[in-house]
This record gives sequence, structure tokens and C-alpha cells, in this order.
Amino acid sequence: MKAKIFLISVLFITSKSLLMAQDTTDLMAMLEQEVIGDSKSKTTYATATFKTTRLINGHTVENVGKGVMDVKISHRFGKVNNGGYELFGLDNATMRMGIDYGITKFLMIGIGRSTYQKTYDAFFKLKLLRQSSGKRRMPFTVSYIPTIAYKTLRDNDTSRKNYLSSRLYYTHQLIIGRKFSEGTSFQLLPTYSHRNLVKFAKESNELFAIGIGGRQKITKRLSLNAEYYYQLPDYKLTGTSNSLSVGVDIETGGHVFQLHFTNSQGMNERTFISETTGKWEKGDIYFGFNISRVFTIGKRK
Amino acid sequence: MPFKLLTLLLVSFFFIIEPAGSQTLYSITKSFVSFHSDAPLELISASSKELKGKIDINKKEFAFLVKISSFTGFNSPLQKEHFNENYLESSLFPAASFSGKIIEDIDLSADGMYTLRAKGNFTIHGISQERIIKSIIEVKNGLVNLKANFTVMLAEHNISIPKVVHEKLASEIKVEVTAVLSKQ
Repeated sequence: MKAKIFLISVLFITSKSLLMAQDTTDLMAMLEQEVIGDSKSKTTYATATFKTTRLINGHTVENVGKGVMDVKISHRFGKVNNGGYELFGLDNATMRMGIDYGITKFLMIGIGRSTYQKTYDAFFKLKLLRQSSGKRRMPFTVSYIPTIAYKTLRDNDTSRKNYLSSRLYYTHQLIIGRKFSEGTSFQLLPTYSHRNLVKFAKESNELFAIGIGGRQKITKRLSLNAEYYYQLPDYKLTGTSNSLSVGVDIETGGHVFQLHFTNSQGMNERTFISETTGKWEKGDIYFGFNISRVFTIGKRK
Repeated sequence: MPFKLLTLLLVSFFFIIEPAGSQTLYSITKSFVSFHSDAPLELISASSKELKGKIDINKKEFAFLVKISSFTGFNSPLQKEHFNENYLESSLFPAASFSGKIIEDIDLSADGMYTLRAKGNFTIHGISQERIIKSIIEVKNGLVNLKANFTVMLAEHNISIPKVVHEKLASEIKVEVTAVLSKQ
């Protein structure tokens, strides 16, 4: 009996000391538990999947914030294989000036003008889904971007009637992007493009293409980017190739500088996706840069 | 013999229950944390209402924690993104925290105004510093109102300021905390 009492008291004393140990638990551990609980009951959205709204030539899943204006100046110099006489292309340049503006968190609009074929373009980008974790889980961010381009380069062919509509080009893109980790993001861009006028009767007015792009951060403010647009062969215009670009993003406060090499000279969707003539293997490579500067116009929250 | 056993059980039981101390633990019900960077070319401020905290007035222990990503304000959405991505690196270091002991031996269970010094580990950006932070505490009707102002040196927490934004970001950030705590 005595042994039994001893055993029971030992049991109680140890259980009591266990509880005491629990009682002195770090208050911090309790708070951390609360935070874990919160993160399960709240939805966290992925941010900064890419540094800016463009990867190289094409769009990313990023939008500018509400009331934010993003002024973009982009240059593509001449072909690198023009040699030393033209300082490897630096003697020539085409450029695009553009302004993007965020109407809401989910909707941005943009306009631009490229010197290449004197083209105006306009688009909107609507965020349909946002990548999130926690209460509501969504693996991807999905955006829809329709773009219209208006080529104003004078047409020398006077033998036919030139309609305004024959200068218009339409592109519809879905962007499906995912931030896999802090430094790694990828996106897929199924693209449909329509041109009202083609050069030859046998050429298709439609184009289906798929783009793939990604970035890998090297440091906090520097990332390595690449993008490739594959045109389905049946719809490809003669003499064109698929657009392949590689570049870096350098971010400094409100500026993002993007430096890249690409085989495309044009900077709006229809030109670089469907009218890229350069070939990497021949050295038809254009060096170029985009500069992005954001201004907050709307009232800040 | 069985009587003795019962007494032992009862006594032990009381001892187990007694020190749980739920009567002395206060938790934050309402809070406001804000910070200000006062640099020559730019003023930046942001705030969060999601500060969590507990004070054990018996043991004079405390812990506070706020999620970095819960701060809103800033001068632009992009600034908030950079704050999280480049400066505080909130995906690696999701929270700022402060935990430790109250230095003064004051009975906080009685109503009144107290100026206290809280000593403990202050962690931001994954780097802990031992700090003593002065705070004013008012105990009234079972509620604890807390107010504290202090500064954070970015360099002490390994948050570097790139040269191009030197004029836009202060190296010393002012922080203000107000919170209401009640018994759990």
C-alpha cells in the first residue's frame, strides 16, 4: 500500500512539474501559434511575381497599383551583326514610348507609340485570378490582355483601296503565371492574334502562339529573365521566326531598368510575336532596354 | 489509508490548478503600430493594426509580435512591395517581435499610471538586439493601455540602404505603439 501511495504521489508530482513547465511557456510561442492560426484562416496573396508589368517584350502577370502611372521608354538598337561600322547596331534605334495606368488593383490600361512602322497601341490588362495561400488557395495568377495596334506607316501600294481597318491588328492573351519561390517565377501566355490585312492570299489572318517566360532573382534587386514565343507553324507568316529574348531587370526604388538581347525589333504584341525576322543563329540580335518609372497620381491610401 | 490517499490526490489537484495564472495574463485586443522615416527628400509612414501581444503581470513577462506584411500606408503600392521584398524581406522574416521582462517591480493589478522599462530581445529582419524600451502603462477597469515610442536603427538590423535612395530613407526609423490589453 505504501508503495502504491509513493507511486501515485511521484506520478502527481511529476505531472504537476510538467504543467508548471508548460505554465512558464514562452508567451512568444503562444503568439506564434496565434499567427499560424491566422495564416490558415486568412488569405495571403502572392506579390511581386515579377518586377514590372513587362518581362522583356511581352507582358507579365503584374499590374500597376491603383492610381499609379508607369512611364515606359523602350529602345531596341540595330542588329549586333551589323559590325563595327555601325557600332554593333548602336547607330540605329527604334523606340516605344508608353504610359500604363492602374484604374483599380485589378485593371490597368496602357497606350504606346512605336517608331517601328509608326504604330500606336492600346490595351487593358484585367486580373482574373490571384495566386494565394491560406484560407483560399489558388496556384496561379491569371490575367487577360486584349491589345489593339494601329499601323500608320504610309502604304505605297496605290493600286488597291486602303481601308483604315487594314491597318488594325488585334491580339488577345491570357497570362497564367506562378511565383514558385521568392526568386523564381514562370508564366505561360496562350495568344491569339488577328491581322485584317495580309500580304499574300495564302497567308492566314489568324495566328495562334504560346509564350513562355520566367525570371530568376540573382540578388534582391537584380533578376535574370527570358521569354520565348512559339507560333503554331500553320499560321506563321513566311520569313518570320519565333521571338526569343534574354535580359536582366535592375530595380532601384521607383525605377526598373531592363537590359536585354532579342531577335525582335518591334515592341508591341503583334510585331514581336508574329513579325520577328531576326535569327539568333545568324547573329540578328538586337540589344535594347526598357526604362520604367512609376508616379503615384491617385490619392494614397 | 484510503483517506490519506484521497487527501493527497485533492491537495495535488489544487496545486496543479493553482499556478495556471490565467487571471494575470493580459492579451491585446486593439492595437496600432506606426513607423515614420523622415529623410530629406521623402517622408514615409505606414501602420498596422495587427499587433499581437501578451503581458503576464504576475511574472512581469511580455511578448509582442507584428507581421511585417500587415503594414499599410506608404507613398505608393510599389513602395510597400519594395518594403516587403527588398528591405524587410518579409517572406524570410515574416514578423517583428519584442519579448522579455519588465524591469520595475510594480504591482500592475492595481489601477494607476505607470512608466515602465521593458527589457528584452527586439527582433526585426531576423536580427535580435537587446533593448530597453520605455513605455507608459495605464491600468483602469481591468484594461491595460500601453503606449511606447522608440527608434529602430536600420543598420543594427542589417537592413542596408542603397546609395540611390540615401536621401529618401532615414537610417533611424521612429516607431509608435499603442495597444489595449484585457484579461484573457
